[in-house]
Amino acid sequence: MIHYHPSIETLTDYAAGSLPLAHSLCVSTHVEHCQECQQQIRKLEMLGSHLFDQAGTHSRQLNHLKDRFFTQLEEHTLEENDIEKHAQEPNSNHWGDYNIPSSLRQFITKSYDDLTWLRLSPSFKIATLYNEEGGAQIALTRVKAGAHMPTHTHTGNEITLVLEGAFSDESGVYRQGDFINRDASHKHKPIVTKDAECICLTVLDAPIEFTGWFARLLNPIIRRYHPYSRA
Amino acid sequence: MERATILPAEEQRVTDMQSIAQHRDQAALARLFDHYVPRVRSFCLAAQPGANIMADDIAQEVMIRIWNKAHTYKPESASLNTWVFTLARNARIDYLRKNSRHQSDIDPEYLWRNVVDENADPFKDAQQKRDQERIQQGLDKLPSDQKQVLAKVYLEGKTHKEAAEELSLPLGTIKSRVRLALHKLTIYVKR
Ligand SMILES: [Zn+2]
Repeated sequence: MIHYHPSIETLTDYAAGSLPLAHSLCVSTHVEHCQECQQQIRKLEMLGSHLFDQAGTHSRQLNHLKDRFFTQLEEHTLEENDIEKHAQEPNSNHWGDYNIPSSLRQFITKSYDDLTWLRLSPSFKIATLYNEEGGAQIALTRVKAGAHMPTHTHTGNEITLVLEGAFSDESGVYRQGDFINRDASHKHKPIVTKDAECICLTVLDAPIEFTGWFARLLNPIIRRYHPYSRA
Repeated sequence: MERATILPAEEQRVTDMQSIAQHRDQAALARLFDHYVPRVRSFCLAAQPGANIMADDIAQEVMIRIWNKAHTYKPESASLNTWVFTLARNARIDYLRKNSRHQSDIDPEYLWRNVVDENADPFKDAQQKRDQERIQQGLDKLPSDQKQVLAKVYLEGKTHKEAAEELSLPLGTIKSRVRLALHKLTIYVKR
């Protein structure tokens, strides 16, 4: 049962296509698990289609564009086979113990195990999926059952999406599909539940700063893996 | 009956989609071109005023997708307008991420693909048309300040935060305008 959903503002920006892509990635992954948000987005897209329909039409002559389009149509026509192939791509991706959400398959072609994990402590690993130039850092964190995650505060917005397992902090317990959005002012001490390891998708708008004793050692490493710090 | 509320022109476009899927009917594609290309262009120009080349490119891309993906469109799961809107939205995102100063490798194709094609059934079909109707009628009655914010978010591609900055209003005001509008349209039912 999912308890933590993106806000209605976030869902609206997502349906409208105005949400930054890194955040859309988290919403999309949440939505794969969440019927409720699927319904919400369906309606928000309907609203979009009415606004789109009423957007007005510029009076510019389009004959030239139309002629060009139809002369080139052959080149753009996909063969039946191509269409089939394209449609089947995403289905064949079940490796190892876990199902990879389809939104993440552009970054994870095989399994979580095949990613390059950077071990930050005996129980805490991080794998960078993608660093947007001048934008967000998208990573997976993997924490052993029962382990504490390092205490940290953010210097920017952080979205966490639970992919596998569960963790808790002062405010609650978070399970598969839960979407947690924290701003810079939040300082938390997450602990992974004892029954299983926990894998989360995290999107950081700015590097996190660890505040614990051991975290002070980690900070330079984290910085090195964030685009802002390369300058 | 729900069916009666669908305009004949829209019915015609759905039929055109079927002719494209089944017979590669170029005349049908030409009719859809006349209807949708001006809308897709306006949609793009709302986000990037004056960017006519971009608008043409994206409109062409949307038409190519209609041509190649017509067979995947299911009238029971979404109206044609909604389907084309999602194509235009995704094509615009794709264009901007490839052509902007800060390019991104996050491929939007992976991020929205499953949202619209749910398993359709007759119950959902009727439900879908009711929602559709309510939204359309409600939209005409919205106060202009609420409609203005929706247009910023949907057509101009602004986030709530950017809309607030541009209108020199607090973010809270923008949020409450959108929430009010979504309530009136019965899109957002508080959970
Ligand atoms: Zn949800």
